[in-house]
Amino acid sequence: MTAYLLTIATLVAIAAIVGLALNMQWGLGGMVNFGLGGFYTVGAYSCAILATSGVSPLAAMLLAMAICAISCMLVSLISLRLSEDYLAIVTLGFAEVVRLVVLNEAWLTQGALGISGIPRPLADRMGSDAYAVFFAAFALGVLAFVFFLFERISRSPYGRALRAVREDSVVAATLGKRVWWLRMRAFGLGGIAIGAAGALHAFYYTYIDPGQFGPIITAYAFMAVIAGGRGSHRGLLLGAGSVMVLLEGTRFVKDWIPFLDAGQLAALRLSLIGLGLILLLIYRPHGLLPEYRLQVKKPDPDPDFAAHPPARS
Amino acid sequence: MHLVQLLINGLVTGLIVALPALALSFTFAILRFANFAIGAMLTFGAYTAYVLNVSVGLPIVWAACGAAVVTGLVCVATDRAVYRKLRGRTPVTLLVASMGVAFFFENVVRMVFGNAIRGFDVDVARPIRFGELRVNHEQIVTLSVTVAALLGVWILLTRTKLGRAMRAVADDPELAAVRGVDSDRVIAWTWFIVGGLTAIAAVLIGLDGAIEPLMGWNYVIIVFAAAILGGLASPMAAVAGALLLGVTEELATLVLPSTYRTGVAFVLIALLLLFRPWGLFGKSRVER
Repeated sequence: MTAYLLTIATLVAIAAIVGLALNMQWGLGGMVNFGLGGFYTVGAYSCAILATSGVSPLAAMLLAMAICAISCMLVSLISLRLSEDYLAIVTLGFAEVVRLVVLNEAWLTQGALGISGIPRPLADRMGSDAYAVFFAAFALGVLAFVFFLFERISRSPYGRALRAVREDSVVAATLGKRVWWLRMRAFGLGGIAIGAAGALHAFYYTYIDPGQFGPIITAYAFMAVIAGGRGSHRGLLLGAGSVMVLLEGTRFVKDWIPFLDAGQLAALRLSLIGLGLILLLIYRPHGLLPEYRLQVKKPDPDPDFAAHPPARS
Repeated sequence: MHLVQLLINGLVTGLIVALPALALSFTFAILRFANFAIGAMLTFGAYTAYVLNVSVGLPIVWAACGAAVVTGLVCVATDRAVYRKLRGRTPVTLLVASMGVAFFFENVVRMVFGNAIRGFDVDVARPIRFGELRVNHEQIVTLSVTVAALLGVWILLTRTKLGRAMRAVADDPELAAVRGVDSDRVIAWTWFIVGGLTAIAAVLIGLDGAIEPLMGWNYVIIVFAAAILGGLASPMAAVAGALLLGVTEELATLVLPSTYRTGVAFVLIALLLLFRPWGLFGKSRVER
């Protein structure tokens, strides 16, 4: 049971980091990223390739974060001048290209065989039971770091400018904000987090192959962001947790409907995510914990004034 | 391979994409959002035709017609259940919702039919030879069906009252409403046509290749590339975009392995968005 809980904690932490990244890019910046899975793959594979070729695991993780951030910024550059629809298709296209490259360029990625024996950070210092605890703590630590960093950023002047761009980029541009640069930085910040999540994925499994990087990563992150409330990092943590409980719950569906095989169960989960996405968008558009707003306390309205407003002169 | 052969193959590949690209730009022009569920609708249409063809035993032509009607009705129902409730929200919300719709339909299909690769129950015909050129039976079917469907859409858009109303709503929904165009009715018909065109294309894809749960997903990028080439909001230009894309993809196989088809489409999208975001045939207009 402890092992199960540690697994869940690690996986929730990794998924929540991706969710935070999407919250930065889409929640705060208004830029849809349908290519999350692709960037995540870039993070995992660059970390795995570097670590297996002799770079120390932690350095490989940092490099993977940098590579992921740079690829995010370059991809966003293609369509930053245009409306968000185009960014959605560009990121989706990028993810497809990543998938094809990973599958076909065996000299770099071992193709469908996958990369095995990925060294983990500090693995030689402790036994495997202690390491599982350490790794869960490490993943949660990265999650906490990303959370506090993003929380700070979203309350900084930069975060407010970014939200202004999201609400109306023309107004923001008129106020002298460099819209494309604000957006590109938000995309890059998200990329750093996705890279970290990808690297954690590679370390956790110590073996990666193209089959691990399906649409569930993107679907899960969108579901978590929408459930939590777009733009709210605290909501995201709540959203990521509740989505995981929901998805883990589908494991027990297997006990009732025994004729479902593993593939059908995965399909059931994804269709539930799709349905959940739609229902949340329609009925709970602001999510569980709405986004932080800078609030100005309004003076209490004068009851007499409210009841008998003076005639306009 | 012979260059003319590549050109023919490319044009036919493009024709297959033409109908979904047309459908995509319809939804973009009239409903003003990028419909990412287009791939899932392709899959859904193909499986509907498969059920009618293989399980019920209808000939493929009737199965295709049936699939077109069913998919059209499902599109109208999806609009009632999902998109209509989100009308007036930002286009991004609708776009994300369409992704949810895509996940739902694709995985329901996968749950019911599994991952096995299937095919329609049709006779295999020998390719026809003209000297060195080979033309498949499927290519001729694709050509004639697509051209007929495109002609039908063109007549609908230019010669009928519904077509005029559709163009009016695409142009300026408020002005159309003032002139007494019932936009709900126009939208319902648009979805029906979108579903029908998508299902017909899905049958062509199934005849050409195989039916599997990912078949539609693999076409999403390509269909978007074709529509963006044409300028997203102009339906007939999307057809030209599709043909151009098909030929480019075939020519690209001279230098790239054919597994990178989607990659070619992505590069085209990227180049186009950087240099001519209003499409190859459209006019420059400030977009934001």
